[in-house]
Amino acid sequence: MTAAMNLDRDRSNRAEQVEHLRRKIAGMSGKASGSGGSPWRGPSPSKAALPDSETLLPLPESLAGRLPGPLPRGSVAVLSGARSLVLQMVAAVTAAGGHAAIVGQPDVGLLAAVEMGADLSRLAVVPDPGIDPVEVAAVLMDGMDMVVLGLGARSIAPTRARAVTARARQKGCTLLVTGGDWPGASARLDARVCGYEVTGAGSGPPTPGCGRISRVRLDTTAGGRLARPVRAVGE
Amino acid sequence: MTEFERSAGAGVLAVWCMDWPAVAAAAAAGLPATDPVAVTLANRVVACSAAARAVGVRRGLRRREAQARCPQLHVVTADPARDARHFEVVTAAVDEVVPRAEVMRPGLLVLSVRGAARYFGSEQAAAERLVDAVAAAGAECQVGIADQLPTAVFAARAGCVVEPGGDARFLSGLSIRQLAAEPSLAAAGRTDLADLLWRLGIRTVGKFAALSRGDVASRFGADAVVAHRFARGEPARGPSGRELPPELDAVMSCDPPVDRVDAAAFAGRSLAGELHRSLEAAGVGCTRLAIRAVTANGEELQRVWRCAEPLTEDATADRVRWQLDGWLNRRRDDRPTAPITTLSLHPVEVVSAAALQLPLWGSSGDDDRLRARRALVRVQGLLGPEAVQVPVLSGGRGPAERITFTPLGDEPVPRADPSQPWPGQLPEPSPTVLLDDPIELLDAEGNPVRVTSRGLFSADPARLTSSPVAVLATGKGELSWWAGPWPVDERWWDPEQSANGRTARVQVLLDGGGPAMLLCYRQRRWYLEGVYE
Repeated sequence: MTAAMNLDRDRSNRAEQVEHLRRKIAGMSGKASGSGGSPWRGPSPSKAALPDSETLLPLPESLAGRLPGPLPRGSVAVLSGARSLVLQMVAAVTAAGGHAAIVGQPDVGLLAAVEMGADLSRLAVVPDPGIDPVEVAAVLMDGMDMVVLGLGARSIAPTRARAVTARARQKGCTLLVTGGDWPGASARLDARVCGYEVTGAGSGPPTPGCGRISRVRLDTTAGGRLARPVRAVGE
Repeated sequence: MTEFERSAGAGVLAVWCMDWPAVAAAAAAGLPATDPVAVTLANRVVACSAAARAVGVRRGLRRREAQARCPQLHVVTADPARDARHFEVVTAAVDEVVPRAEVMRPGLLVLSVRGAARYFGSEQAAAERLVDAVAAAGAECQVGIADQLPTAVFAARAGCVVEPGGDARFLSGLSIRQLAAEPSLAAAGRTDLADLLWRLGIRTVGKFAALSRGDVASRFGADAVVAHRFARGEPARGPSGRELPPELDAVMSCDPPVDRVDAAAFAGRSLAGELHRSLEAAGVGCTRLAIRAVTANGEELQRVWRCAEPLTEDATADRVRWQLDGWLNRRRDDRPTAPITTLSLHPVEVVSAAALQLPLWGSSGDDDRLRARRALVRVQGLLGPEAVQVPVLSGGRGPAERITFTPLGDEPVPRADPSQPWPGQLPEPSPTVLLDDPIELLDAEGNPVRVTSRGLFSADPARLTSSPVAVLATGKGELSWWAGPWPVDERWWDPEQSANGRTARVQVLLDGGGPAMLLCYRQRRWYLEGVYE
């Protein structure tokens, strides 16, 4: 009876309920509260309400207001399209004090990430992860707050994907998959370049021979379980 | 000579290099030791060479007076640092013969004689060996041996060996002024004390020693009591030599010789353990480690690993394994011709272990950093040392050269200083994808576009070919916009670099919604350097 009433009350506030369940999941998956002294990790059951910074991934400013919902830590997201989106995520996480690793993307332009605000001292790169990049990513989940995994068009078996997803959730490490699909990913973000801004080339269409590229405009589409399908246009 | 044994703990040998400031000054000026040299302080001579003394230069003379007595005198001002620097050679030479010598001042060494006398057979033999060693180092010295340290110093000035128990007898014949002669044994007011005693009619050390302790203490003060003690030859402190730096090398002879990686890894682990026990005992951590291997055919292999943080035992074992792996799995012609027989670890650079100490309560962020590092080190263990790269901002003009990658664990040193001004640096934003693919840039007629030595296009570019990205795009590589060329004037003074012709960059935008690209012209070819996406 009380349980039902509780449930009713909970239902009245959906956000609270989500929070409650998230905490329960964290408790069940054995994530110890004392696993780190940092404010970064480890949802602690003793706290009544958790601040967003402990359960949610910092999102780039250009994306934060436009995506329908935040990305929880420990989730798996598939990113496709323009590389800027990945670098913006890396920049946001490292700038907020988290550690990130990029696996299997030898051609990534890290200078662009620095310009987006990334802290290189919290970033490590594994350009050539050998024959099994997923294994490397799974090892890195132990210590990282975010791992970017370039699959290089490999396909992942659903059972393997489930195991790695569970590991990501348990370690509180967000896995961003690029260059392939991930069965059961909780969010799918797709970014397309929808235009370039050229400064110093006059008004209207840019005159050849003048100006320089000053901005890349992105068109981000979000999908998946955590995010209602929505379109956002950002930087 | 030594019919009596010296009592336990007694027996001091003093090595005295006479006129050391003058000898050091002569050595610094490159003069032979036979030249007259005087060292002055506050316009007075404080030390002079034997040659100068022979023509009448004395301590305490005014500089002008000394120069009048000896016109060819080389006069220099006193410099304790110069004395100490040149004395280091003598110290090292003495350490070679008898370790743990104490330097009382540059020019005077004391050491305990017991071990040396036993080793060389007699005190005389030890003294002879020391005189020879110092002479080989290019200095002249006298050696004195006595029971007590101050007596030994005076014995060295006289160049004699005082028999056991004969300290007081030896000293009793000395002039009372000798009490103040040795600056390292005398306090500031000792000269006044010697003067006073002289005027009171106490002209020898023996007469001073005959006074009662109480009379000396009540009339002349604390420093006089110290002087009185050594005038009587009473026990003084012994020499306290410097400790030798501990031997930290870990050496292992492999039997049977190692030719497989797994055996090498096993050897490396136990060797790392041994090294870390000795490092721990010495209270230091290692930041630069040399790994050496000798094969059965006598080939020597060595590599120095340089690390940003002190190595832990596991990290050392990993490095030994990687190194041996590298050596044993080289290509045929480079591979060592025989299995490894001796393996040694030599800490090249050590830091105090305080650098290794983790804070008791942890510090915010540090914990996270360590956990991240552990995960990365595990990946290094899976894939090899070069697999995990740490980026660091570097100086440069192009987007690729402005990031330097170093393997995790190595010191992250940028190739060029990023804080310097880099004129001609590409402005923001940088390309998010970095490539290095050859590409063709054509003008409207289909002829290739070049960059002239004046830094201009030979013709306006119109389209791109042979680009994998351009093929993906909807258009046929037609350009809707381009900007540049922006020449890069780098190393034009270097004939090798300038022979490759001009380097320039250009931004292009493909027609029909294709991506923007950064092209680089170098060695008379175009390369696709980056994509903005």
